[in-house]
Amino acid sequence: MDFIKKQFGKIKDLFHFNSKKEVVDFIIKLFFLISTIVSASFIVIIIVFITKEGIKPFVTDNGGIGSVNLVRFLTGTTWLEGTAFKSNLYSVGFIIINTLYISLLSLLIAMPIGVLTALFIAKIAPKRLSEILRTVIELLAAIPSIVYGLFGSGIILVFVYNLAKVFGVQSPGGNSVLATVLVLALMILPTITALSEVAIRSVEKDIEHGSLALGATKTQTNFKVVLTSAKSGIFSASILGIGRALGEATAVSLVAGNARSGPTLSFFQTTSTLTSTMLQGLKETTGIDYDIRFSVGIVLMVVILLTNAGLNFVKKRIGNVHVK
Amino acid sequence: MINNVFTIKNLNLFYGKYQALHSINLDIERNKVTALIGPSGCGKSTFLRCLNRMNDLIDSCQIDGEVLYHNDNVYNRNFDVISLRTKVGMVFQKPNPFPMTIYDNIAYGPRCQGIKDKTELNKIVEKSLKNSALWEEVKDRLKDSAMSLSGGQQQRLCIARAIAMEPEVILMDEPTSALDPIATMKIEELINDLKQNYAIVIVTHSMQQAARISDNTAFFHLGELVEYDKTDIIFTTPKEVKTEEYITGRFG
Repeated sequence: MDFIKKQFGKIKDLFHFNSKKEVVDFIIKLFFLISTIVSASFIVIIIVFITKEGIKPFVTDNGGIGSVNLVRFLTGTTWLEGTAFKSNLYSVGFIIINTLYISLLSLLIAMPIGVLTALFIAKIAPKRLSEILRTVIELLAAIPSIVYGLFGSGIILVFVYNLAKVFGVQSPGGNSVLATVLVLALMILPTITALSEVAIRSVEKDIEHGSLALGATKTQTNFKVVLTSAKSGIFSASILGIGRALGEATAVSLVAGNARSGPTLSFFQTTSTLTSTMLQGLKETTGIDYDIRFSVGIVLMVVILLTNAGLNFVKKRIGNVHVK
Repeated sequence: MINNVFTIKNLNLFYGKYQALHSINLDIERNKVTALIGPSGCGKSTFLRCLNRMNDLIDSCQIDGEVLYHNDNVYNRNFDVISLRTKVGMVFQKPNPFPMTIYDNIAYGPRCQGIKDKTELNKIVEKSLKNSALWEEVKDRLKDSAMSLSGGQQQRLCIARAIAMEPEVILMDEPTSALDPIATMKIEELINDLKQNYAIVIVTHSMQQAARISDNTAFFHLGELVEYDKTDIIFTTPKEVKTEEYITGRFG
């Protein structure tokens, strides 16, 4: 005890503290600061590491194969890989388009369903039912992505294969844009629902009562006033949803079919995303074929960053635009 | 009788087992301001909410007795609540504009009733804002968010929103309790103007306010209507001891 008291005294003198309480305060603040530095530095370390690996294919001659052309890498339409024939002809241009296309489509499916579900849980369902539904949604959100992937390859692939047959198209085992979109929509649905529900529930009762007192029906109130008031929260939910869709690798790899060229816009053809491309064969490869996956990682991070920035910009704009 | 918009007969109201109103009998006159006063929890706001059936929103609330709006009991099973609320507008304690533009706030009610015609909506918006003494302040920024207005302006916007429905009665639940004295004064002037066209029922905590703006005053205490008369009689020669004690500030 004496020792600690002495140290306290030293710190007190060193920093010109006036009381023991100030010293304690200072130490606790220091502790918070260190925690923050530790967590923040990991982000920096990861970025530095990935960048260091990821620029290798562009700045070295990759063991005699020749360096990768950056413009070609970003705009090309084929991903020519393989350890049998060494090449430097990797391109992710089409994969970027695939990734955005798939994520947006899955958001387009998941968002309306999620928001309507959220509205039902928050405003329409009887109390008991909405408690049960809320738990179910939380459970769905906690299911690991590999399980969604297995469900996708077991059920959705078969469904898409048969659906393609109806349209007279031969889908390669069901591995396709549509299957990927459906799996991703299922995955982000609970996230969007849960967050939208919180946003809708936190709309002030006052505003709702104001609408009802003007002779609006419950439905008019829900759609015109409650959703309008919650739109910023609903938008945040969608941003998180699309973030999850952009970053999902495991489930996507199981149903996308990993096309090596593209972009694929047709629903029944195989596709590939940035994440599935990174994951595919990562463990069995070396040299440029390994390093280039880190380059894809950089592209993925930039795509996610730009998408978020773009959506946040839109969010700010619609914050002031008003729904009729 | 012909001059009454509301006639309340033997109204009892229960929240679960707790009885909040005890056999209230009261008439609300056309083109008059009726003030409801009384200490907190005396049931005056609860009573106000019976008139446009906002108490329906509370699950445990049960009502017996009659609230006659032009001889129709609003608590009849087949009474149309929606049309009642278009005829009986309400202004709340805290300004509660919708998070939309000023224009859309006013147009909201008429739009809910199916009015889509632009020129008609424009007319309604302009007229409502003029009648709520807000037009001069906002005419150049109708497309701005209603949230950008000051508290007093927001409350006048809520009044304009109610007026846009061309109601017959406007219920006000302590409309100035969240406002500063100048904004309060403006609202009181507005209430004075509005009574030419509407019956106004106002709940207030301020006895000065009741004395300044109302024609009739009802004094509630512990869920009972203690006294109801012309305002100057209530404030000068009340018949009941309780009323006198309350208005002279001996309790409440």
